Amino acid sequence: MAKAKSGLGRSEKASGLLMISPTALYAVLLLAAPLGTVLVYSLVSGKGGNIVWDFGLQNYIEVWTGPVYRAIMLRSLIVSLSVTVVTVLIAYPIAYFVSFYVPPEKKSLWLFLITIPFWTSYLIRVFLWKVILGYNGVINSGLMSVGVIDAPLTWINYNIGALVMTLAHAYAPFAILPIFVSLEKIDRSLLEAGQDLGESKLMTFLRVTLPLSMGGVIAAVLIVFIPTIGDYVTPDLIGGGKLPMIANMMEVQMLKINNKPLGSAIAVSAMAIVAVISVLFVLANRRFLGPQK
Amino acid sequence: MTTTKPTMIEFRDVHKYYGDYHALRGISATIRAGEFFSLLGPSGCGKTTLLRTIAGFEGIDTGVVLIDRKDMARVPANERPTNMVFQSYAIFPHMSVEENVGFGLRRDPRTKTEKQAAVEEALAMVGLKGFGKRAAHALSGGQRQRVALARALILKPKVLLLDEPLSALDKKMREHMQVELIKLQRQVGITFVLVTHDQEEALVMSDRIAVMFDGEIAQLADPETLYRRPNSKKVADFIGTMNFIPATVLGESGGRIEIEAKGLGRVELMAEQCPAGRGDAPMVGLRPETLTLLYPGQTSTERTVAGVIDEVIYFGDMTYYDVYLGGTDVEVRLSMRNVPGRLIMDVGTSVDVAWSPEALVLFR
Repeated sequence: MAKAKSGLGRSEKASGLLMISPTALYAVLLLAAPLGTVLVYSLVSGKGGNIVWDFGLQNYIEVWTGPVYRAIMLRSLIVSLSVTVVTVLIAYPIAYFVSFYVPPEKKSLWLFLITIPFWTSYLIRVFLWKVILGYNGVINSGLMSVGVIDAPLTWINYNIGALVMTLAHAYAPFAILPIFVSLEKIDRSLLEAGQDLGESKLMTFLRVTLPLSMGGVIAAVLIVFIPTIGDYVTPDLIGGGKLPMIANMMEVQMLKINNKPLGSAIAVSAMAIVAVISVLFVLANRRFLGPQK
Repeated sequence: MTTTKPTMIEFRDVHKYYGDYHALRGISATIRAGEFFSLLGPSGCGKTTLLRTIAGFEGIDTGVVLIDRKDMARVPANERPTNMVFQSYAIFPHMSVEENVGFGLRRDPRTKTEKQAAVEEALAMVGLKGFGKRAAHALSGGQRQRVALARALILKPKVLLLDEPLSALDKKMREHMQVELIKLQRQVGITFVLVTHDQEEALVMSDRIAVMFDGEIAQLADPETLYRRPNSKKVADFIGTMNFIPATVLGESGGRIEIEAKGLGRVELMAEQCPAGRGDAPMVGLRPETLTLLYPGQTSTERTVAGVIDEVIYFGDMTYYDVYLGGTDVEVRLSMRNVPGRLIMDVGTSVDVAWSPEALVLFR
């Protein structure tokens, strides 16, 4: 009996492996293999477009001590942290409104409307912000034509603020959805209980609603923070090339200077920074992620 | 029974609409201080809505709700002297048991140690001593309910509101908690207002019961009056089992009413057995336990009527018999306790049934 059972288990396991094998193969070929290559590259030297196979940490030393790289990495971090904060702060009230104030039969419509920006390509959305915020953009020419300003405003374009605004807009739906889901799961009688036990609506929000929706907030933070730190298009288009971030630096090293080892070291360093910050963030908030029912 | 207790809650012609739906239709009633009061009715009768108007979760359209002689119209839920045990218990899942129980003490001026002592005392009161550090999600249904009780009672409210608190428990646990709640209420002396659709639960636990149908209070009385002298056929039908027998009113004189009930014959009833008429076809009501099956050779000082057993339903401690009365098509259900030596009768046996005119209620 036991033998038959284990035989069955094995065949189930085999068929399971068979089922995931196309995806697994895909992941190995297109994710693990390139990642391994980048790791290996980051440990050798690039001299005038050629690779010298001298394994060592020389690229990392350059990346972590060179003032230019440090400044760019710091800028990437500041931009992505600002984008994360701004996006979550914008997304939370929207998610809260849809979850608590939109009648149940209209909620799907609202979610549908929130995802409409995804119908347009990311590139075009970023480009639209350039059109809006640019030197000769909608805002500047609009304000000039009605005579509010004489010369185009320069503080609305080609700066970190414009980068943050563009990225926050692009990532807002990614943040709204997980927060909405976590708010939807909250039993509404808990909020009545909070008020029944003497707390105002604001205090009930702070003591009940917010902690119970932290799972969604944490998901939103990770979903926004991780991709924005490596964003490539927005700094290029909105920053006008004056505000390169990590990804732009990689492009320069990899494609323009053709120093693949240094480019790889930058990539691995960026990954490490994201991983460390994300893990620390999740650990700091792990009390919100326990079993809740 | 003292009737001098002061009024704790008063409803004056309370109306509530949900859009076109008239949920509360002119509720006027008083709930006395220290009383165990129940709102009983089928689902959708407005009993929960009425409870929520006390708590402050529902506004009212017209009328007045007073708690301890204060108009509650502009008092929000968090400032009312009431606390609620929710149907779902509403235990905060992100908090431990003691954090749940101490939730309402945030603005309490006492020191941390005193608050901790209060939490432990409240937990001991509901039989959860030593459970303080447990996570709320690791509790059973009965334990959750105790936490909800402790969390509400620790704030020493004037009124404790209970929204079907026992409906999620299994039968054994429910009966156990009914007795515990009665004891707890006597111990703390707080006014309890219970919402339930379970008539047995209401009869067991309450000092007084308001039976509600369609947004109105049909009858407000103590359990015995409600059971023995229901004021309408609808209330009689909702509370326990009652046989209804068609009747004709023959005449009224000097507070006595003479009727002819089908199968029972002519009966003279006292005025208190005849609640005010509603224009329905006259019926007399008779509870199963007020009828007695006479075994062969037995006699009775009560009036008797001959009948034939149509159905026998065995319940362990009781047996229910459905009997056709006096050669008519009137069938009544009666219940007999299964004491040792008393045989279960067979279907089709001709028997005599003893009954007493005092047990009758006339609905007309």
